[in-house]
Amino acid sequence: MSAIKINDVSNSKDDSGEDKDWVAAKAAYDNLKSTKKPRPPKPQHAVTIAVSSRTLFNMVKERKIYEDEGLERYVAHQQQHEEEPLMPGVAFPFVKALMTVNARLRELYPDSEELFDIVLMTNNHAQVGVRLINSINHYDLTIERFCMTGGESPIGYLKAYMTNLYLSKDSEKVQEAIEEGIAAATMFTANKENPLSDTQLRVAFDGDAVLFSDESEIIVKKHGLDTFFEHEKEFENKPLAQGPLKCFLEALGRLQRKFYVKNERINCPVRTYLVTARSAASSGARVLKTLRSWGLEIDEALFLAGAPKGPLLEKIRPHIFFDDQMFHIEGAQELGTIAAHVPYGIGQKYHKGKLIEQNHKRK
Amino acid sequence: MDGKIVLNARVQKKDSSQAVVIAVTSSSIFDLEGWQKTVTEEDKQELQPHSAANENKPFKMGAAFPFIMAVQRVNEKLLEMNPEETLLFDVILLSKNGSPEIRSRVEDSVVHYGLDIGRFYFSGDDDFAEPLRSNNVKLFLSTDADDVCKALERGVPAAQLYQQCVQETAGPLRVLFAGDALGLSDDTEHPLREQGFSEAQLQSIAAAKGAMKEFATCMGEMRRRFGRDGSSLLCTCLMMAWSPRDVCVGALKTLRGWGLEVDEAFCLAGAPRSPILAHLQPHILYDHGLQNARNSPAQC
Repeated sequence: MSAIKINDVSNSKDDSGEDKDWVAAKAAYDNLKSTKKPRPPKPQHAVTIAVSSRTLFNMVKERKIYEDEGLERYVAHQQQHEEEPLMPGVAFPFVKALMTVNARLRELYPDSEELFDIVLMTNNHAQVGVRLINSINHYDLTIERFCMTGGESPIGYLKAYMTNLYLSKDSEKVQEAIEEGIAAATMFTANKENPLSDTQLRVAFDGDAVLFSDESEIIVKKHGLDTFFEHEKEFENKPLAQGPLKCFLEALGRLQRKFYVKNERINCPVRTYLVTARSAASSGARVLKTLRSWGLEIDEALFLAGAPKGPLLEKIRPHIFFDDQMFHIEGAQELGTIAAHVPYGIGQKYHKGKLIEQNHKRK
Repeated sequence: MDGKIVLNARVQKKDSSQAVVIAVTSSSIFDLEGWQKTVTEEDKQELQPHSAANENKPFKMGAAFPFIMAVQRVNEKLLEMNPEETLLFDVILLSKNGSPEIRSRVEDSVVHYGLDIGRFYFSGDDDFAEPLRSNNVKLFLSTDADDVCKALERGVPAAQLYQQCVQETAGPLRVLFAGDALGLSDDTEHPLREQGFSEAQLQSIAAAKGAMKEFATCMGEMRRRFGRDGSSLLCTCLMMAWSPRDVCVGALKTLRGWGLEVDEAFCLAGAPRSPILAHLQPHILYDHGLQNARNSPAQC
């Protein structure tokens, strides 16, 4: 998975026109009389998080109207309720935490463009945009970039915005994004609401098939655990290949270092966790060595040796937890953790250790 | 009516008082092999042998050919739904070069491709603005940004034809409105001036807002003929290049007030436009006249 920010997408000959847009944006934001807002950062420097409308807000009721009564009725309903803010959705705490980090970054680096940039990326109809923006205003969220594609797939725009992470409720879109090399996950609501930190963004990752490729998972599924342990010990010093969320961890690491450099390691508002079923004794070393070889740090590495992840996650209280296996997602949900499924690798063909039939498509 | 506007007898005449009359340059629709500019005698000498060889061949399809096909599909569908429909696109094909050879090749090319073009206008060196105005042209379109600029300067509403990077033969007619002009007021002009926008640029943005209203209203009415699901035939989009989100809401509501409920909306807040446009692939790019429209498709 390539870090798409390194390769600049825009043509150099278009620069003068785009500089004008950039300059005009500054003028427009500087001029805001009501609420002084900072201009959003340049996409090539920012860590861009794209969220769908259904992850940002709770649109279950409205979705039902769309499914039962069709597009016309759905849009009409949204227009009628335009001035009513929507309720927060599953990605809302994560977005608020990103804003907290941005506030701290702006304090330390007032002129830097290395910030989180939150984009609303939805295939919702543009007319629903009025209600969405009104809701964003209501909660005072710093979201200034939108793509409302009126039914078309938003996937192409993810690349155009140099997206580092895409969150959606639609697993098909998430899968498409991952196939395009963009870190993405399908978000699931927790069964209860655990109070989360409002001063520190906490992100938890599973290891295999999330940060790392699924090469080791394949060994477990095909040859069993014993072979897996032997294999991992033998290849301890050979770094695993990258997984779909490696680049996102990398982006988080870049922002963390900005705090370390200013002596803020203890108060760093970004904390990362590895929550893996691997065990420290037998298969854990390879994981840590792989991270080291990539130059990446993870704040806490938790090796569960096969124990359920739910209770531990309940203690950690991440704003988001990424895992490739629905079994772990469900375990997390049960105990109140906001979980995001990464549909990647061999784990998709299995549920609770058994091979599943690939005969139904998710809606 | 100006003597130089010629009816295309092969195409059913539209009621131009009811239709959406648009003027398109022939150099946008066809690859004119170097004949698109009014040529000097020397140029003519150079192009002559080449032209003689190609005398009866239709011109190849140009950069905006998919646009004219999409316009045609919209017209066909409208007539299918209502054979008495008068709110159709009525296309005038504008050519600068008026020499008889080119005229007949252009006319033949139109017939060859079966294009729904109602009238031809061979302007030569003349000012094309007056005949366009007197023929109720709602919008002048060209792939050439200079053409668009000149038209705007002469008070003709004009927009860019975005060069399609993929020759799409199906899909909707995509009309994109750049909405930052809709948010422009006395308050917002001052900081723009400070940032280096010239008076001429600010004036052209303000003028664009007025001209946009008429065309947006037409598009709104036409779009409504197709129903909410009709974006597969006619897809209307709003793009805010630099304005904050509240201005975006304002633009959506302004357009709605003019009768146009756009299907798609993009708010860039200063992010680069080219990648977005390259993916969106609009046909008509109704910009603020700032010549920021992209001519080259980026990274196709």
